[in-house]
Amino acid sequence: MIRLVIVDDHPALRAGLSAVLRAEPGLVPLGAASDAAELEPLLARTRPDLVVLDYHLPGEDGLQVCRRLKRMVPAPAVLLYSAYADGSLAIPAVLAGADGLVHKGAPAQELYEAIRSVARGDKVLPPVGAEHRQQAARALDERDMPILGMLLEGTPPAEAASTLRLDGRGFSQRVDGMIERLRVEIPAA
Amino acid sequence: MRGDSNRWLELFLLTRVVAALVGSVLVGVTAVSAREVALIGACLAYAAVSCVAFAKVEPLQRSKAAWVADALGGFALIIASETWRSPFYLLAVTALVLPATTLPFRRAIVWGGAFSLVYFVVGVLTTLEANTIESAVRLETVTTRLLTPWLVAVALAYAQRLLDRLGEERERSERLAVQTERQRIAWELHDSAKQRVHAAHLVLTMVRDRVGQREGPLLDQALDQLSAATGDMATSVAELREPLDGRPLEQIVAHRAQELAGATRARIDVNGKAPALPPLVAAHATRIAGEALTNAVRHAGARHIEVRLDGDPDTLRIIVRDDGQGLPDELRPGSNGLRSMRERAATIGGRLDVAAGESGGTVVALEVPLARALQEA
Repeated sequence: MIRLVIVDDHPALRAGLSAVLRAEPGLVPLGAASDAAELEPLLARTRPDLVVLDYHLPGEDGLQVCRRLKRMVPAPAVLLYSAYADGSLAIPAVLAGADGLVHKGAPAQELYEAIRSVARGDKVLPPVGAEHRQQAARALDERDMPILGMLLEGTPPAEAASTLRLDGRGFSQRVDGMIERLRVEIPAA
Repeated sequence: MRGDSNRWLELFLLTRVVAALVGSVLVGVTAVSAREVALIGACLAYAAVSCVAFAKVEPLQRSKAAWVADALGGFALIIASETWRSPFYLLAVTALVLPATTLPFRRAIVWGGAFSLVYFVVGVLTTLEANTIESAVRLETVTTRLLTPWLVAVALAYAQRLLDRLGEERERSERLAVQTERQRIAWELHDSAKQRVHAAHLVLTMVRDRVGQREGPLLDQALDQLSAATGDMATSVAELREPLDGRPLEQIVAHRAQELAGATRARIDVNGKAPALPPLVAAHATRIAGEALTNAVRHAGARHIEVRLDGDPDTLRIIVRDDGQGLPDELRPGSNGLRSMRERAATIGGRLDVAAGESGGTVVALEVPLARALQEA
């Protein structure tokens, strides 16, 4: 049984998604929030295994929310759910610590599979093309590239931090800065 | 902004006619002999010819040679009247209206100064002498007459500059308003309409497996339509955010090729020219060409990629050819690039063919009949 919550700012999508997930055996939607502020009490009340998170949210966006979720102990698995789920969003998603990225146009079956994989601890991310790496390299600092490389290869953040002789907070700040810089490169929609 | 040229032409004609009448009357009131009659005749003829010429032949309004000739005509009348305090002085000054409002501000001021200088020379040629300075009244008259042309030129040039700025300002605020409106529509499309379609699509995919054999294909059709709708909306949103603004297709594709050039070792050539396209066709064709190019760069491992655009007024043809590893036997899971390209092609009534090249690689060919697309647009 996978206990999950949904974060999406559009009511139609929230309702549709809840219905679709509820219909699948083994998935238990515990509630839905329209933004980060609503998510807070929902998390405290339900302690879900997994959060299905829209990328575009009013105020704090999906990546920021994802960062915060991943700092929680224990951290829920996070599946980013976006209308733009190609390689250019995959890089910031990896940096933010998301476990999966699924396109909103994907059929329900694919979404179920992704949720199960992510809940098992696997990653479900679209392939990151050379073009997107180049794009990211242009936006980022030279010294940030090792962090990007390690995280894209799947190195756990703690290991990446110790390789670079950074403490947890310093590493986290660097990653925050990288996400911030890459945000400009993402189509703002 | 030369949209005001008509207004300035009206000012020129009005002042020229009034000044000619004033000049004629001034000549007439002193004495009427054969010489005065000749002068009045010359003055009226000059005014009439210059007015008709500038009003009828538009290029003359912006021709420096015509301005110089016009000014020289005025000076000739002053010389003919044999005094620097000529009754034709005002007539000559009206020759400044067109240059002062057409030239850029600084050059208009210089033009006015040159006019004043020439007037001074003409004055010396006629009756302006050194002893003029001795009389305060005369000195004041000389100074006024010398400076008037320059001041007229400055005033007119200044007015023109203000009009230009006003025009630019208005254009900018209109552009801003259009941009704001576009942003708003883009948000509405993306934030609401598209999310609803995604929700509907998701819910329908869930029930797909429970639908009987007879209705299944119908539901698939509906699903395809919904996917195509989100594709359309994505195109519209992108177009609203980054309008093509009527740029030719080959230019946009070349730009995209340049962006991709950094991510690949392949050489990318964009050749040919697309015919004029209705906006919707242009938007979809741009995305199809961009997607095909991106695929070639990302997955084909090609050394050479060529995008060829051509066609005639009735047909658009785009061919993207690479010499890479060719199509995989089974398309990558999760790749809906090819599907969305086909859907886009269908939306604009076109056909998309993806095939293996004769000597390896992949050829993506798009053909869109434009006559129908134009009718529907």
